Amino acid sequence: MLEEIGERTIESITTLGKFGRFAKDAAITSLFSLFSGRSFTLTINQMNLIGVKSVPVVMVTGAFVGMVLAIQAYDQLAGMGIEEHLGVLINISVVKELGPVLAAVMLAGRVGGALTAELGTMNVTEQISAVRSMGTDPVKYLVAPRVLACLLLTPILIIYADLMGVIGGYFISVMQLGINARAYWDFSASGVALWDVAVGVIKGFFFGGAIASISCYKGFTCKEGAHGVGQACTEAFVSSFIAILALDFTLAIVSKAIYNSIWPITSIL
Amino acid sequence: MTSKILNADDGIIVVKNLTKQFVNHTGTITVLDNISIAIEKGKTTVIIGPSGCGKTVFIKHLIVLERPTEGEIYLKGGRIDHLSESQLEKVRMQFGFCFQMGALFDSMTVFENIIFPLHQHQKKIRDWKAVDQLVKDKLSMVGLDGYQNYLPASLSGGQKKRVALARAIALNPEVILYDEPTTGLDPIRSDIINELIIKMKNELNVTSVVVTHDMNSAYKIADRIVMFHEGRIIADGDAEYIRKHPHEVVQQFIHGRVSENDLAALKLGGTKFKAQYLPEDFKS
Repeated sequence: MLEEIGERTIESITTLGKFGRFAKDAAITSLFSLFSGRSFTLTINQMNLIGVKSVPVVMVTGAFVGMVLAIQAYDQLAGMGIEEHLGVLINISVVKELGPVLAAVMLAGRVGGALTAELGTMNVTEQISAVRSMGTDPVKYLVAPRVLACLLLTPILIIYADLMGVIGGYFISVMQLGINARAYWDFSASGVALWDVAVGVIKGFFFGGAIASISCYKGFTCKEGAHGVGQACTEAFVSSFIAILALDFTLAIVSKAIYNSIWPITSIL
Repeated sequence: MTSKILNADDGIIVVKNLTKQFVNHTGTITVLDNISIAIEKGKTTVIIGPSGCGKTVFIKHLIVLERPTEGEIYLKGGRIDHLSESQLEKVRMQFGFCFQMGALFDSMTVFENIIFPLHQHQKKIRDWKAVDQLVKDKLSMVGLDGYQNYLPASLSGGQKKRVALARAIALNPEVILYDEPTTGLDPIRSDIINELIIKMKNELNVTSVVVTHDMNSAYKIADRIVMFHEGRIIADGDAEYIRKHPHEVVQQFIHGRVSENDLAALKLGGTKFKAQYLPEDFKS
């Protein structure tokens, strides 16, 4: 029993170390690829696959988040006679937390799964070895364009999710539940600052980086056979999901600390 | 050959005291055990041996796709096994590697597969007419001109291996490594691959290292045959030498004969009545 716990701990730390090295290589290579014309086409292709094709699912996610929040919170606020405050509640939740996190989770499923399956299949069919055998760095050719595409487009996709969340919340609150539109927007404007929107969007860089690096790592280290690829996809999604939640928690603390140090008075009020 | 002390200049590729171990949950497995060999320039060296004896692991060491646990690998007198991945990029351009299942990029057409190494190692392709002609020439060499726009999924196993060979020769390498080039092919298509290997050697004057367990292929293409068994070299010489080699394992392998021990294990392993059930056996 004790031996097994020790063995698993060592294995987990080893995997974490290997992932750390992979992520470091991926980060350095991606940085260089930003300024390389050769990687430009590959990155644009990945942006289309990862970003453009994810727009509909991310928008649908955002819209439902806004609508559900409106339905759930209306009764509580109406009971206290402050239903006009619904706007601020929905919009701050959407732009700061639920929009970014749920959009990232949706991307981890759609994009992360596809990346792991594609790279995992390439790994088991020796296509990654073939890239190396022809004198090309597979991290540069396969990983960097995917990391860059995720890193640059996740924040933009989060803006789409936020936008649809705001519209969805407005649609249910004003059009269906009959809250005064002017009051709805006035309270929203007073409660949601540019800082809140920026925090949500900045989270996207971290979420995108985590999704791409975890998914690519799982694809590169995938075990042989159909079972190996399936297992790698599952592990990639679970790890990305946990990383998103952990990053969200860490970034919430960091952003609060930054906010308090820049605007100490506002934070007390 | 194993006992001979090798110098780095003895062949185009020299492997000295190569040992490779893998660690898994059952412990440490030694796949290659103190292998020393010099690959001669312009010759075809065939590595034979039963499945799992370390042939593929060995050939991957020649291009440093695997790193040795111990030992050294030299290419044209320069040590390569300790180089970084970025330093190896230049070294690997001197090799062509034909993978067992072709390893063609399945999202690319045949044309795109063949220009992949060119595309990676040229700043920008300006003369597309020359590239078209080059791809046509390479595909003509393997008898597949006209297949430029096909996707790998629409090719047969033999055609995939031929396209893989065309891709391997795209950068005019000095050494071509073949990992089981005839496995999974019928005898006629196997012979086409054998003829191509001979053609590459004669027309391009390349050094070839071929891993196979197909003895017909080995006898036809080899200038030298090296037999691996349990991670060690047990026989090394020309086809005639191997045919007459006194080692029992060599004779069993080249004649495709099962050993007495294996046969005894099979007989003890179960009879038809114990091991083979039919659906009616489960009816109540």
